[in-house]
Amino acid sequence: MGLVEIGIVLIKAVVVFACMLLCVAYLTWLERKVLGHMQVRCGPLRVGWHGLLQPIADGIKLLFKEDIVVSSANTFIYILSPMIVTGAAFAAIAVVPFGDQIEILGKKIALNIADVDIGVLYIFALSSLSVYGITLAGWSSNSKYALLGGLRSAAQMISYELPMGLSIIGVLMLSGSLRPVDIVESQDVWYIVKQPIGFLIFLICGFAECNRNPFDLPEAENELVAGFHVEYSSMKFALFFMAEYAHMIVLSALVATLFLGGWRGPVLPGVVWFMLKVFALLFFFVWVRATYPRFRYDQLMKFGWKVLFPVSLLNILVTGLGMVLWG
Amino acid sequence: MGIEAGTVMLGIIGPEVVLVVAALGLMVADIIIKDERERQFLVWIGVAGILGSLAVSASLWGREVAYGFYGMVVVDNFSTFFTLLFLVAGGLTLLMSHRYVQERKLSPGEYYTLTLFATCGMVLMGKSTDLIMIFLGLEVLSVSLYVLVGYVRGSDKGVEASLKYFLLGAFSSGFLLYGIALLYGATGSTRLAEIGAAIAQKGLLGEPMLLAGMGLLLTGFGFKIAMVPFHMWAPDVYEGAPSPITGFMSVGVKAAAFAALLRVFAGSLPGLGIQWKEVLWLGSILTMTLGNVTALMQTNIKRMLAYSSIAHAGYILIGVVAGGETGTTAVLYYLLVYTLMNLGAFAVVVAIEQKDEKRLELLDYAGMGTRHPALGAAMAVFMFSLAGIPPLSGFMGKFYIFSAAVKEGYLGLTIIGVLNSLVSVYYYLRVTVMMFMKEPEAEITPVLFHPSLVVVLIIALFFTLQMGLFPSTYLHIARESIKIFL
Amino acid sequence: MGIAGYTGILIMVAVAAAFGGVVVLLSRLIGKRQESREKLMPYECGIDPTGNARRRFSIKFYITAMLFIIFDIEAVFLYPWAVVYRSLKIFGFIEMVVFVGILLIGFLYVWKKGALEWGSKSI
Repeated sequence: MGLVEIGIVLIKAVVVFACMLLCVAYLTWLERKVLGHMQVRCGPLRVGWHGLLQPIADGIKLLFKEDIVVSSANTFIYILSPMIVTGAAFAAIAVVPFGDQIEILGKKIALNIADVDIGVLYIFALSSLSVYGITLAGWSSNSKYALLGGLRSAAQMISYELPMGLSIIGVLMLSGSLRPVDIVESQDVWYIVKQPIGFLIFLICGFAECNRNPFDLPEAENELVAGFHVEYSSMKFALFFMAEYAHMIVLSALVATLFLGGWRGPVLPGVVWFMLKVFALLFFFVWVRATYPRFRYDQLMKFGWKVLFPVSLLNILVTGLGMVLWG
Repeated sequence: MGIEAGTVMLGIIGPEVVLVVAALGLMVADIIIKDERERQFLVWIGVAGILGSLAVSASLWGREVAYGFYGMVVVDNFSTFFTLLFLVAGGLTLLMSHRYVQERKLSPGEYYTLTLFATCGMVLMGKSTDLIMIFLGLEVLSVSLYVLVGYVRGSDKGVEASLKYFLLGAFSSGFLLYGIALLYGATGSTRLAEIGAAIAQKGLLGEPMLLAGMGLLLTGFGFKIAMVPFHMWAPDVYEGAPSPITGFMSVGVKAAAFAALLRVFAGSLPGLGIQWKEVLWLGSILTMTLGNVTALMQTNIKRMLAYSSIAHAGYILIGVVAGGETGTTAVLYYLLVYTLMNLGAFAVVVAIEQKDEKRLELLDYAGMGTRHPALGAAMAVFMFSLAGIPPLSGFMGKFYIFSAAVKEGYLGLTIIGVLNSLVSVYYYLRVTVMMFMKEPEAEITPVLFHPSLVVVLIIALFFTLQMGLFPSTYLHIARESIKIFL
Repeated sequence: MGIAGYTGILIMVAVAAAFGGVVVLLSRLIGKRQESREKLMPYECGIDPTGNARRRFSIKFYITAMLFIIFDIEAVFLYPWAVVYRSLKIFGFIEMVVFVGILLIGFLYVWKKGALEWGSKSI
């Protein structure tokens, strides 16, 4: 690998990262706007045209806020954990292909940062890393609310990681590869058609993994006052916030890649199709938040272990049987 | 893809499959049956599994040597011999536990399931021709036993024993695993046959990495055998564990570790066996001397039997050191004999023991013989056999071990062994003396006999006598078993 | 792509980690700070916190974590199997039914013993 290639990868990484940051920022705007209109309000209006500059204003405000480290906290872990969460969430996008190869200046460039054979495993590995960040944040704050939030989120996220991991086995069986590009290319028919149950389970677990409604128990603002990040302020708080939204984006990208045919689609260029799919899913995330109340904790665990887990195993069985019977 | 059903060959692990199916059936039955009393019948599922497994493994006897799972496990007479031994031990333990579990209101499902899994792990250990497989078998067996040792949750000693066994066991597993890693590093394989070939080919015998690996491996096995200086856990764990489990551990774990040790040292890597003889020689002397001398001072019957089992490991090591056809045959024969006589002794302990760890002191045995002559006589037979008094099987076992040692020129070792058995006579006889010749201080509540326990006693008694009086059949079987090593 | 593909991952992780570090450092430098004892206390509904948050918590969390380990290993075994499933054919299917079946019995056992209950029925 020459310097040119490394340079290209570096440029790609920085561009993608900047895009992600922008998406995260405007996702908060989108969420507030959509939520507002769904609740017959207007959402942000003041800063810029229809509040378009609101995210930037928020960012600047948070940057200037006082940075508090709780006196009884375990300082090193306390500072480290928001970085773990953000790092894991942003780095996960590296293996997702945004489009087919394109040609710039006579050079073929693949539209993903890293094209590795075990891409899907890599995303799962990173998304389970963020469990550490959240749990350590809750523990190191040395506050009771934070501890409870951290514990809850640890239990919740590992409980839902299980069916999530199992739900994509069907896709892997059909595609015969863990490489995202291969998976996209094998989807002449979107896998949502062949794997509807796997898709549903994956989506539900995805909500739980992002700590989003209706699975937002770790932060449950009205009982745990923000749960694991109750003691965080300023940019450290912002990092958790951004990580959650970045996680949503990664997840939507993953759903699009695994189940919705990735960049593939007629007429429009691949990147556009990919973005369309991702934003449709992100809209869905917000829509669900506006619609459903929060689960109770025992219901949440029960649903994960007693419904999703057996159903995802059943899905594998049915897929396997189907493939044996019909080739 | 070269994976075909043929290369896997389920028949090779037939006994294990039956055991696992029985264990899983037991678990399912445990959650289906709601009634506490009905659940006591679960033991019969376990016994049925053991019997089925016995039938399957008996059918494997005398067949051609067959490797399965890409050479990870093997069926030969050696492995079948040990399979049968473990199954007998497991079966007798289940029967012994029946009343024990019932009386103490222990949850029967897990108890019997774990016993079956532990047996399965032992069987795997005897069968494996790959170090990884040996480790897996050892872990299956150990993890089950960690739980079983602390099964009586309310008992302080039990919990202490469980924790001790777990910590030291995990530690020793680490040793074993590290040894395996170093051996792999030195020879490039975990298959015993390939390791042997690599050593012979490249002349690695003096290689430091190999030496270190072998030493660590021996340490790992030493822990399970309770070889001095790795015996520290044995007395506390044996005392704290439920008595039937103590019996099971003292024979099963020991035999499993010896099976693996023999497979490694005598079978696949004889060159290494010779190299390590001095270490084993010293270990043997230390183990039997320390076991016997400390047993003299014990007042608790389980602790005494724990030290006695350490001592017996020392005797068996003499056979390992002697090696050759006679030595290895003697080891196998001794393990068989020891299994039955020691389980018999533990059956008597279980019969006499009362709830909450009562009646486990030697003084509690006073007058037992006169109140229950049959029980006393049985205990006397087991004790005499353990001490090695003719014509019982224990004597024959020691006789073959010592004569093998003499034949191979280990005269000093033999003399120390004989002296040791003389010492041991004292504490074994003391039990019998206590039972028949001492009057109890207070009136003793009579022992309640449970049919399953009586069956165990009869079986153990029968074989202890028969193997002593007519040893030739069993010796023949043992000799057949080690033919592949010659 | 082989090992070369991982350069991208390395760069991406580095960029993401650098971003986190820089942002936190920046807010530390820019943000004004006026610390007081009350401000640095852990939040507890506005009163002085009682005791310490380093305390024992429900055993259920441990059980959940242990169950996760067991079944996650199962999932890990399923991944390579799934990728080569096409060439394993019916043999692979049966093998996996046996493997998953054994774990499923364990799952059933755990369920019936009440390890998955979080409400009043919990053990």
